[in-house]
Amino acid sequence: MSSTISDIYNFDLPQLTRIAHAGHVKRCLSGLPDSQVDVDSGRMALAFYCIGSLDLLKMVQDKISSSDRESWREWIWEQQTSGKYGAGFRPGPFMSTGPSSTSTYTDYDTPHIIMTYTALLTLAILRDDFSRLDKRGMLVLLKSCQREDGSFSTVPGSVSGETDLRTLYCAFVISHLLNDWSGINVDRALSFIASCRSYEGGYGQTTYCEANGGTTYIAMAAIHLAPVPSVPLTPSEKRKTIEWAIHKQLQSGGFCGRTNKVADACYCFWIGGSLKILGAASFIANCQFKFGGIAKAPGEHPDPYHTYLSLAALSMFPLDDAHSTSFASSWVFEPLDPLINARQETAEWARKYIAIR
Amino acid sequence: MSSPTTSAPEPPRYADRPEWSDVIPVEQYENVNPLAPIFYKDIYKDAADYFRGIVKTGEKSQRVLDLTERIIRLNPAHYTAWQYRYETLLAIEADLEDELRLMDELAITYLKTYQVWHHRRLLMLKIRKPATELVFIAKTFREDAKNYHTWSYRQWLLAYFNDDSLWSGELDFVDELLNADIRNNSAWHHRFFTVFQSGVRDGEQDTERILRRELIYVKQSISLAPNNASAWNYLRGILDHNGIPYSKMIAFVQPYTLPNDDQKADLVDLDNPPPSKDAHLPCAAAVEFLADIYEAEGGDSMLKATELWKSLGNEHDVARKKYWEYRIREGLRAIQT
Repeated sequence: MSSTISDIYNFDLPQLTRIAHAGHVKRCLSGLPDSQVDVDSGRMALAFYCIGSLDLLKMVQDKISSSDRESWREWIWEQQTSGKYGAGFRPGPFMSTGPSSTSTYTDYDTPHIIMTYTALLTLAILRDDFSRLDKRGMLVLLKSCQREDGSFSTVPGSVSGETDLRTLYCAFVISHLLNDWSGINVDRALSFIASCRSYEGGYGQTTYCEANGGTTYIAMAAIHLAPVPSVPLTPSEKRKTIEWAIHKQLQSGGFCGRTNKVADACYCFWIGGSLKILGAASFIANCQFKFGGIAKAPGEHPDPYHTYLSLAALSMFPLDDAHSTSFASSWVFEPLDPLINARQETAEWARKYIAIR
Repeated sequence: MSSPTTSAPEPPRYADRPEWSDVIPVEQYENVNPLAPIFYKDIYKDAADYFRGIVKTGEKSQRVLDLTERIIRLNPAHYTAWQYRYETLLAIEADLEDELRLMDELAITYLKTYQVWHHRRLLMLKIRKPATELVFIAKTFREDAKNYHTWSYRQWLLAYFNDDSLWSGELDFVDELLNADIRNNSAWHHRFFTVFQSGVRDGEQDTERILRRELIYVKQSISLAPNNASAWNYLRGILDHNGIPYSKMIAFVQPYTLPNDDQKADLVDLDNPPPSKDAHLPCAAAVEFLADIYEAEGGDSMLKATELWKSLGNEHDVARKKYWEYRIREGLRAIQT
């Protein structure tokens, strides 16, 4: 039998171990074992999940020394690089042979769209003034990465980089933060999004693919970020998307990413975020999350990705304080901006300081 | 070919191999305070140093294939190693079918890595022999029949090469997967893609016949396993796609909304197969479907819809109680205005 919300809150909701979660991501920031070598080509994203988790826990300004914040910013700026395809951030220095400021990049060390998005958000979390941002170069990079069908490749160049909705979303957030959409062809991008829509009501990663929670969030956020007056979803399409998302919640309270799959903590964010954007989230605000701590599911190993997205989901859907327990305060978060995926105060900072560059 | 098992002895470092002595290794440049640094194993650092050295001189030769393969086996997400490898294959006019055979092994070892599939796509654009690829993909589904990358690759192959002989086996293929797991949503999705999203092929011009075939297929599947969201989504999908109102399904759906003991003795009716004897009824998806029919009728039927939503919230689908309450509010608002 399914348990009610108050059952869960009365005896099942433990303290949210904020300090322990902060400790996990801080350890990752100080170094990772060789077994994690596959994140080397995505280090900037890992840094965002770690520093973003600290931001959601409200620990960046008070609990991190200003010299640490300063050195983190320096590392991120070191990854900004410019050259023939425009400017942006690379994932890290795994192909780097010297300081990025002294020479332009080669075809094997180019900036990366997803990493540029995560770098901008992380710098906003660290309250950087963005005076070093190469805005003009970034618009060129976006142009270099957009393909004929409206999608975006992760890196510029003819053979490199897969194209799918993830990169398109990041290109949209970058344009939104720059407050300048001249780097992309919005109409083409929107028709690419439409081509990813599945008969189920969700969106697949690319044309013809199965509906998935992550890419549905991204499609919804991108459509709502687009600088066009009308929302290109009909009321019946919108309803079908809501229905699809609602049915991703399982008896356990957790969410799965595709029809008939098992729950994973990150889909609390991806599905919850889709519903939030569609204005249909009020009725799940009171639902408890099957909250596997900071791993994808209970009993699995924690990682910064699931930690960040779980905390971000809690930021979007505050617990109903009628069910407060002695640990209630450990579950309190500040609101999150669901479109760009950052704490509201951080999102405001990013909009203000990036756009003026 | 070395296997990626941990028990195998470590291959010699490039720094210790005389045939590499002409290459100057280049260390990774990182400023004083790295963020989230990775503590590389010596063997990885050695290969990466030589890789940066090779990229710096622009060498594209047979030995670059050996070097990039080592890096990929240690770190399959290293997209620059993949990129450089692909360019090298083209530059030295390597046999791409040999490369594809190596990829058969790597794809299964690193099933969830984007780069493995991206590389394969690039190779196929040159080799242009998609038929054997479909056979290979079917084999990988024995490891994981819901792997997103593999399905995406299969859909790309079919749509890109778009050859009637390629499509001809797809429905049998889907059928086989659904016989193994009737709840495999990826297989249901692929069926929709094959039947409705890929244009009209020879022998399929009679869309009425195709539609009828698909309705019979999905209804039979529901009758075997009524509580299967994938099949109900497929039913809704083909009705939406063909502009058919849900009300046409009322005779089929109704028996699934009643408890088991209310079921009448069944007549054999191919259009309306009844729930199997051991089905768990009423089926929430059927109740939801029937409510949608009543909601679309509007007027007095809206009250029938709200009763069904109430039963979902209180009995058949309690986890979504808040959602059903919201549907009731919206439904009542619609008839008041």
